[in-house]
Amino acid sequence: MSLAVETFDIRKTFGELTAVKDISIQINEGEFFGFLGPNGAGKSTLIRMLTTVLRPASGTASVGGFDITKEPDEVRRSIGVVTQNMASDLDLTARENMDIFGKFYEVPKKARQERVAELLERVGLSKKADELAATFSGGMRRRLDIARVLVHKPEILFLDEPTSGLDPQSRRVVWEMLQNFMKDYNMTIFLTTHYMEEAEALCTRVAIIDRGSVIAMGTPDELKSGIPGNDIVILTLSREQENVRNLAAAEGYVHKAQLENGDLRCYVDSGSEDAPRLMKLATDAGAEVRAVSIQKLSLEDVFIHYTGRSIREEESKKVSLFLGAGVPSKLGRN
Amino acid sequence: MRRVFAVIERDMRKFSRNPVIMVMAVVMPIAYLIILGNSFQGKLKGLPVAVVNQDDGYWGRRLDERLKAVAIGPKTVTLTYMSDQGKAVEDVRNGKFKGAVIVPPDFSRRMALGINPEVGIFVDNTDQISEGALTGALTDAVNSLREVFVSVRPDRTVVQARRVELYRMVDYDQALVPGVVVMAIFMGTMITGVFNLVMDRFLGVDEAILMTPVTKTDIVGGLVVSGFIITMFMATIVYIVSALITGITVFGSVSRFLGILVVLALATMGLLSMMFLMLGRANHPRIVGVFSGFMNVIFFFPSGAVYPVEGFPKWLRAFSKVNPEYYAVHALKSIIFKGNPLWAIYGDIVFLLCFLTVMMTLAVVTFKRTL
Repeated sequence: MSLAVETFDIRKTFGELTAVKDISIQINEGEFFGFLGPNGAGKSTLIRMLTTVLRPASGTASVGGFDITKEPDEVRRSIGVVTQNMASDLDLTARENMDIFGKFYEVPKKARQERVAELLERVGLSKKADELAATFSGGMRRRLDIARVLVHKPEILFLDEPTSGLDPQSRRVVWEMLQNFMKDYNMTIFLTTHYMEEAEALCTRVAIIDRGSVIAMGTPDELKSGIPGNDIVILTLSREQENVRNLAAAEGYVHKAQLENGDLRCYVDSGSEDAPRLMKLATDAGAEVRAVSIQKLSLEDVFIHYTGRSIREEESKKVSLFLGAGVPSKLGRN
Repeated sequence: MRRVFAVIERDMRKFSRNPVIMVMAVVMPIAYLIILGNSFQGKLKGLPVAVVNQDDGYWGRRLDERLKAVAIGPKTVTLTYMSDQGKAVEDVRNGKFKGAVIVPPDFSRRMALGINPEVGIFVDNTDQISEGALTGALTDAVNSLREVFVSVRPDRTVVQARRVELYRMVDYDQALVPGVVVMAIFMGTMITGVFNLVMDRFLGVDEAILMTPVTKTDIVGGLVVSGFIITMFMATIVYIVSALITGITVFGSVSRFLGILVVLALATMGLLSMMFLMLGRANHPRIVGVFSGFMNVIFFFPSGAVYPVEGFPKWLRAFSKVNPEYYAVHALKSIIFKGNPLWAIYGDIVFLLCFLTVMMTLAVVTFKRTL
């Protein structure tokens, strides 16, 4: 199987900050690859380098068989990119948005018209085709964004947090759409997200990125199997957290005990059997158990397992002091 | 080439959905013409002047008649008669009057005897324009006191300078039209071309476009061309409306109108390219607003649109020589008021062409196609 995307120790720095640290990954053709990480982890920076709008500080990458630094034009012709910002023009209708994008890719008129009509139908915007995008809801605009970058039939589709800010229902519609497109158009999809459930639901393989480095990569099941145990017992304790963590870690049935945001997370084989034992252990140690819950392992746990913190702990963005807080600086464009 | 057209189409379509901006960009220069044209043109009228005439003799009454003639005829002054000399001067100081004329009690006697007759003219010299007009009118009134008759035959021994007018009279508001049209062009460059790029960047839309195969030339060229079409349309409307308002012949001959369009086109392309060069990397529309507002003043006033550049200090004259608006205004004045053909203003045309070429090349070269 040939590779759709391959990076070679790719790195990007902004001043003293290294946003992407020597990442080397390989994505096969036809894969739905997820890049999972919190905001500021370097996901968007990597996608911007792969889509030729940011130059790597060192290393390089091949996209669709073309080198991103030496053959950027060829790379751009073979990809479609849905950016994190909703990028369809509000002053244009859905059809105009798509038609103009088709012209950017020099798709012949007849093919363009057919393709636009087909895609509008598939994303459920046929009836709104001649209405201004400004009148669309967030979900509709996102569907238009996706349809717009498919007019030229890209081999590889990059999606930078495509469901960010959408309500759960719209998010599921987008997921279903993406799965169908991938199946019907035989594309490779590279998706960045900070939604665990999105990566689990869509991706055949996932790389977890944190602070510019890939810390784990594999199928969702492989990643989860890399964590000991099947369940996590989460104890919310009022005191003696550290003491109870040490005691739990010493128990044979606890694979790993970890404090995260004040909660004690114990990785065990059977949550239903081990939760009462852990509660007794905590009570005996003088702690007050205020809440207990049992969770199946998820990618969220994989992230916590490797980083010791939740993916939802966002880092603050830097903003341009010159221009004011309304505009993120270059660093803040993640 | 198809991609350039797509960039143009996108920009034009978007602009067409915001007609209010275009209307404002057309209305504002015309309003400027009307306000500036009426603010500066004509002689000053109705300047308030206090008169304290302490001489009731022949020459005192005669001077009074002369002052009244100025007040009634050219209406330069409005007279208020007072008796207190000190109060009159005080009222000039506190701004109630622009000047005061004090005729001393012995004025007639001194006139009759020819021993240094004097009239006091107290003026508010903080307002130079009013002061100049007032001093001129009052001095004329005083100096004409002894003119009893007008000579029928001119003195043949005196050299006569004969004034020959090469062109028809151009009123001040008409003279402003070339400047107003160039200002309309500048305003067009502020709301099209690079502004739309910066707006895309601000909204995060630019990224999606940069990820397509459009090239630097497609983006710069496309936005400049769409800006050109819109700005030319606006400038032509401003020219036609301004000409109609001020009574200038709008079209004249085909070559005259084509000449005007050529100058407008060159100035528009040049200024659009210059704005692209200067603001191609800005990422907030506020920067465009502040910068272009500043540039508008910097380019407009030293263009000779309002005041001849010959009146500027050397350094400002030197700036005018590299100011594209100076050449555009000069070329338009030549065509509109003198009916000159393009070859007669080849210097202006060559400068505008060179300016356009240099600016466009630099705009494309320095434009960054990455984030």
